[in-house]
Amino acid sequence: MTDAQSSTLQTIIGELKNISPETTTTALIFQNNGQIMGSLETTTEDQTKKIILNLSNIASEAETIGGIENLTIQGRDNQLNISTLNDLYLATVSSRSGNQEIVKSFTHVLIPTVVNLLDQLASMPKEEAHLQTSPFEEKSTKEPVLEVEDKPTIVPIPEPHQPPERFFPSTPTNQLMVEKIVGLMVHSDTVRIAPNILAQWSELYNGKQITRVNIEALDGKKTTCKFKPIKDTKTSTKGVIQIPEKILQTLRTDKGKLVMVKPVIE
Amino acid sequence: MKQKATTATATEVSEGAAVISAADDNERFAGLATILFEIGKLNGVNGYILRNNSSAIIDLAEQDKTNEYAILSIQINESSQEMAKQFNLSDIEYVFVEGKRAKVLCMTLGENKIGIFMEKTARQDLILKKILQ
Repeated sequence: MTDAQSSTLQTIIGELKNISPETTTTALIFQNNGQIMGSLETTTEDQTKKIILNLSNIASEAETIGGIENLTIQGRDNQLNISTLNDLYLATVSSRSGNQEIVKSFTHVLIPTVVNLLDQLASMPKEEAHLQTSPFEEKSTKEPVLEVEDKPTIVPIPEPHQPPERFFPSTPTNQLMVEKIVGLMVHSDTVRIAPNILAQWSELYNGKQITRVNIEALDGKKTTCKFKPIKDTKTSTKGVIQIPEKILQTLRTDKGKLVMVKPVIE
Repeated sequence: MKQKATTATATEVSEGAAVISAADDNERFAGLATILFEIGKLNGVNGYILRNNSSAIIDLAEQDKTNEYAILSIQINESSQEMAKQFNLSDIEYVFVEGKRAKVLCMTLGENKIGIFMEKTARQDLILKKILQ
């Protein structure tokens, strides 16, 4: 998302406080990689971090219901609501006693419409977007003057516009040390990867959602599977991949051995 | 799949529900179990988990997803407590999470924690009413 788009979102979030100052105490819009796109000035950095961290903790377990589209925490006096808007999340804290209809029409209608418009503009070729964003551009007041053609000018025929291809860097391959995971709560089709590796991928691909990884053992056996971050903070997990028994068997590898891991970019 | 440890509950649960009870003197737990048993019969409700420090009832249509649902409801409880603290939401009445395929309603009533799993078409407002009545 560009600076201009981010600034638009910041402006519209700011309006929420003007429209309903007594109702909304916190508002925040952020990308799924944690980048803040706009927030009310009353929202502290600590609050922002807590929302993103806790939402991602729930999201990591919410695959079974198809991720998170909406989350509401209803308190006695206030309500926290988080909703998804394409690749963005909008979080608001509002007072129960205030006018909820105003907040709802803002968060469920106005902001999603603006986000959709911004997405549409972002996907348009530059000239077209410019035409659409400035329909009232002042026309020249100069009288048209007929120019005398001295010699014919050669105007290059413009190349047909190709939709801009999304650029992704070449897929990184990480060599990770295998650890075996066992237990009742272990998914047989999901590996766990060191958070620092996932952070590198997220940065490299601008927060694009990666859901699967390719794993290749040193003898060439390969498999593709789902993954989750390693949550154990007690031990050092840098450069580690935790693999359940079933996948270990597929790869014919074992604890302590190295495997090559790369994200599946679709 | 019915598990009973030590004393059995006098609570009505559906056939196939997992019941784990270490101490069974919690009237509120029994009352909630009865309400949830009725809620479990509603259209679009996929099941529920009721637990406290000593007892648990897990009644889910898709038993192979028991682990996922249990972990999800625990995570929702923990994370929402953290967020509620951060934003001074005072006592949480309920937490509602909607995904692309299904939705979950989580509540804490005293020491009893409830997670109700339902399809997108189910009416969570009616379910809430039944629990809070």
